[in-house]
Amino acid sequence: MTGAAIAARGLGKDFGSIRALDALDLEVREGEFFGFLGPNGAGKTTTVHILATLLAPSRGAARVAGHDIVREDLQVRRRIGLVFQETTLDRDLTVAENLRFAARLWDIPGRLAGPRIEHLLRQFGLLERRGDPVRTLSGGMRRALDIARGILHEPRVLFLDEPTAGLDPRARRGLWEVVRGLRQSLGFTVFLTTHYVEEAEPCDRVAVLDRGRLVALGTPAELKRQAAVSSLEEVFLARTGRPLVEAGPG
Amino acid sequence: MRAVYGIVAREFIRVARPFVWLIFAGAGFGAVFTGAGEIDYRRYMAPGLLGMVVMFGSLLAALSTVTDRDAGVLRMVLVAPIRRSTIALGKAAGAMGLGMAQALVVGVILLPLLRLWPGAPGLLLALAAIAVSSLALGALGLVLAASMRSIENFAGVMNFVVFPMLFLSGALYPVRRLDPALQALVYVNPLAYAVDLLKHALLAGWAAAGYGGELPVLLDFVALAAFAVVGLAGAAPLLAREGGVARAAFRERG
Repeated sequence: MTGAAIAARGLGKDFGSIRALDALDLEVREGEFFGFLGPNGAGKTTTVHILATLLAPSRGAARVAGHDIVREDLQVRRRIGLVFQETTLDRDLTVAENLRFAARLWDIPGRLAGPRIEHLLRQFGLLERRGDPVRTLSGGMRRALDIARGILHEPRVLFLDEPTAGLDPRARRGLWEVVRGLRQSLGFTVFLTTHYVEEAEPCDRVAVLDRGRLVALGTPAELKRQAAVSSLEEVFLARTGRPLVEAGPG
Repeated sequence: MRAVYGIVAREFIRVARPFVWLIFAGAGFGAVFTGAGEIDYRRYMAPGLLGMVVMFGSLLAALSTVTDRDAGVLRMVLVAPIRRSTIALGKAAGAMGLGMAQALVVGVILLPLLRLWPGAPGLLLALAAIAVSSLALGALGLVLAASMRSIENFAGVMNFVVFPMLFLSGALYPVRRLDPALQALVYVNPLAYAVDLLKHALLAGWAAAGYGGELPVLLDFVALAAFAVVGLAGAAPLLAREGGVARAAFRERG
């Protein structure tokens, strides 16, 4: 299957007088590992929420997994997985109950859901914790469960919105290993937002976003070559005149 | 064992709340009421108490949506391939079930206690009343929850919604004695229709003395159904207002 997993034309969003996203033109290929790099407040989450049909765009249009995000929102939601910045698990339910709840919401028949849940729990190393309430899980385990929940319905596009925020380096590495393995076995498109350059580095292509505008787009190698620098951090500095991670709250 | 006792006791306290009202409010208002003499005030309170249980049960259950939003669970539901109206219906039906269950438990104890025997038609009407008012109040709770930012507004809801609804419902005294301005509020109060319907069901024997339902049964049903439909229709788009998160981030920036 070829074609674009995500295609946006002039996509924009205003919150009152604030232009959160200006006019985004973007094409993400099927099966691609796409990074969306930018500082906090650049409009990354806004973009993800619009593409995931949670937020109506102020202008422009987009198709995700072959469907229009405004007119065919249900079809879009059926084909995407979204892992939010903050966990969306029910802390009072057990690990397995959270997945069963998601299976019902995504209308996965019980006979399919059972084995699939078991398989995911094994892959994410959560099998032994299946009967434990989510509140007893570590941050890394919760994140893993969030991702397991996000791919339970075998989406074609998986949005990961700052998935490693608040995780220690070990949990971070573990997470990326699992995601890499899943991409190889299931072949879905990953749309990752991050403000960590090291997480954007392994992406097939990276879009750099700043203040609601796309300032650079290409493979990490291309971007560095074009700006004649050695890191994506410097790419951001070269394109915007500001560092990616600001020293203090601005 | 102590823990088991503690948990059981807590559950009982929830069910016991209307009986506490029965004893204290019943004694207080009953003293004022004795002049009338036609009906034991505690019996008069029965429909109101059941209405109260329905309201606390279903309205508060629906308010738990605020916690869902706080904890992020609502977002998981919002990103599922289901319509907003389905979410509203699911939450309201859950609230309805909880409201009904609590009202049934209280009813089973309350009616024998007061030796109130409305007969089979009365009981059936009471069941129907409990069902439709649980849904209406659940839908209303959902609208409140969906328009609230955090559970901190809870005290406000109790003071400005729950208690006025209770006092303007006819649960504790006949509303026809209220002055016209307040009476107008009674007509926009779903609990008033719920209590009125329950009075039709349980106090039919005292209707002649003026303590039964005051509005036509059909009007009560239509009004409650309308509250349910309007509530569900209103709650659906409010639930989807998840832009709040991104918006808040930009408010800080801007």
